Amino acid sequence: MKLSAFGCLTGLVVLLSAPALAEDEIKIGLIEPLTGSVAYNGNSVVEGAKLAIGEVNAAGGVLGKPIKLVIEDGQCQPANSVNAVEKLVQKDKVALLVGAFCSSATAAIMPVAQRYKIPLITAVSSKADLTEQNNPYFFRAAETDALMARAFAKILATSLKLTNVAYIGVNDDWGRGGVEEFSHDLSDLGVKKAMVDYFDHGSTDFFTLLAKLRVAKPDGVFVAAETQDGSILVKQIREMGIDTKVFGVGSWATADFIKLTGDAAEGIYAAVPYASSMDAPRNQAFVKKYQDAYKIKPGKYGAAGYNALQIAAAAIARAGNVDPEAIREALHKTRYEAPNGIYQFDAKGQAYGFEAVLVRLQGGEPKVVASSPVDAPH
Amino acid sequence: MDLFLQFLTNGLVVGAFYALSALGLTLIFGLMRVVNFAHGEIYMLGGVTGWFFTSALGLNFFAALALVIVSMAVLGWLVDRFLIERVRDQGEEAGILLTIGLSIFLANLTLLVVGPAPMKVVGPLTEGPVFLGPVVLTKLRIVAVAIGIILIVGANLLIRKTRLGQAMRATFQDPMAARLAGIRTDHIYACTFALGCTLAATAGMLLASIYSAQASIGGLVSLKSFVVVILGGMGSFPGAVVGGLLLGVAEAMWGGYVATGMVDIIGFALVIVILLFRPQGLFATRVERA
Repeated sequence: MKLSAFGCLTGLVVLLSAPALAEDEIKIGLIEPLTGSVAYNGNSVVEGAKLAIGEVNAAGGVLGKPIKLVIEDGQCQPANSVNAVEKLVQKDKVALLVGAFCSSATAAIMPVAQRYKIPLITAVSSKADLTEQNNPYFFRAAETDALMARAFAKILATSLKLTNVAYIGVNDDWGRGGVEEFSHDLSDLGVKKAMVDYFDHGSTDFFTLLAKLRVAKPDGVFVAAETQDGSILVKQIREMGIDTKVFGVGSWATADFIKLTGDAAEGIYAAVPYASSMDAPRNQAFVKKYQDAYKIKPGKYGAAGYNALQIAAAAIARAGNVDPEAIREALHKTRYEAPNGIYQFDAKGQAYGFEAVLVRLQGGEPKVVASSPVDAPH
Repeated sequence: MDLFLQFLTNGLVVGAFYALSALGLTLIFGLMRVVNFAHGEIYMLGGVTGWFFTSALGLNFFAALALVIVSMAVLGWLVDRFLIERVRDQGEEAGILLTIGLSIFLANLTLLVVGPAPMKVVGPLTEGPVFLGPVVLTKLRIVAVAIGIILIVGANLLIRKTRLGQAMRATFQDPMAARLAGIRTDHIYACTFALGCTLAATAGMLLASIYSAQASIGGLVSLKSFVVVILGGMGSFPGAVVGGLLLGVAEAMWGGYVATGMVDIIGFALVIVILLFRPQGLFATRVERA
């Protein structure tokens, strides 16, 4: 009896809180991890996204209406992300979706977006096969592991003089993908594989893994890890007294990574699609705006969120209405001038044309050592 | 062989950290019969306040540690007097619900105030390697293990030898008799909870100087601590120590010789084995509540 009364009450609350049909704004749904082990990176995406929406609205919005960003916490979990999408589509009636952060979560929400026929842009998820699933509603405004590996394998092998490399990645789709792609491309260049090992999200102690690394004696170690795991791992590599070249993928070219890692960050290399030190006028303007808003230089994820929402807003403006099919068509015609180059989508929805950079952390700043355009995949 | 020694040392160091993290949980359960699901969040708060005192206020590590101990003891005391007291003697479920709610509240409050970014506690020592024969360690780790041992022994002595400890054990054995003997049991419960929180927060700060502090690590810490406590036996002090070391060494060996990618499986496999063959844990003192 109590239970059913509770049920009635919840139903009532849901009914009462249903929106009073605000048609005077355009809603975009954003699903990012706001809690959990990658919450910090997810929040950077949200910061960038808010900055972009602020700019668009300050310039009068799109189609004469302001854009409203509806943010949901997907926790990087497939199930929670799917729930978030259901809520965004059914209750908030968003015109377009942006998210989710982790590749496995994005893979889970892609079929949902397709079922509701709502375009979905991911700003981050880089697992290569997401764009191979023939989902016409899916767009990836980000690099893939394969594209990054192809852009940088040769530069890395020659400029760091690598002959024998160990690979360490976080144990999920993204980490495993990064390790596979880089080891594949570096092996093609004749670089030997000294060791491959993975660790779980949220691990804090890497001494056991690093003991194995010390015995393998590589002249370089590739790491696929995000800010928190990566900073602790790099720090412990130096604590163990292992003096090898460290390079990798993840949000390493950020002020926070450098602050957390301390002196151990000195001299490591990171292949990133964005660094605040990229030398382009558009980027300098973006860095200044970001710093004014958040007192911190933008990193990979701040820029990713910013770019995705700029692309989304421009597509809605081009579509001329909020019909999902029109927005989808407009997205295919994207030619967006980002701080880090020009974004266009190929037929599968994969972005290309923007610059990716190899940075070296020096004196607490990411210095760009090489830059390479991310080409359309064949 | 060298590699084996390195794995063993890693396991023992991490195991000592596990034991230290789990101590507060087992203490509160053993003495108060409260399953504290907010344990991980108290640990997290220790790290975050430690960060605040060292990095934001620029205090010395040990001065900051003292401040963390005092502030967390006060917090623990207040939580018991204002929250846990209301559900005392209403069975374990009420306490579980209360502490789950508290854990959600604390984690989200911290997210709101300091944000989700990882934070660094400035340690008391430099972080260079120390070579002991074939084994590599850092000074900070050696110091942390030493502080951990001091805390474990200290807490044990407090419970075994002092008047307060006697009163705690008396209250736990028979609250009614303890009250009749003139013990202020409310005060004792609050002190016990404060002690448990202090231990958890100290562990949090100590380990945040080696790893990092973050608002959302509480859940993972609680989970590992429960593994340790179930292995050792709920409420047993030596059990927590042995459980922690066992888990640390088992993880290091599995990570070293099999794969580090699935290391979290080990703790739970051990728990299943223990529950099948020795459900009271390795060291449980089978005491019934009066």
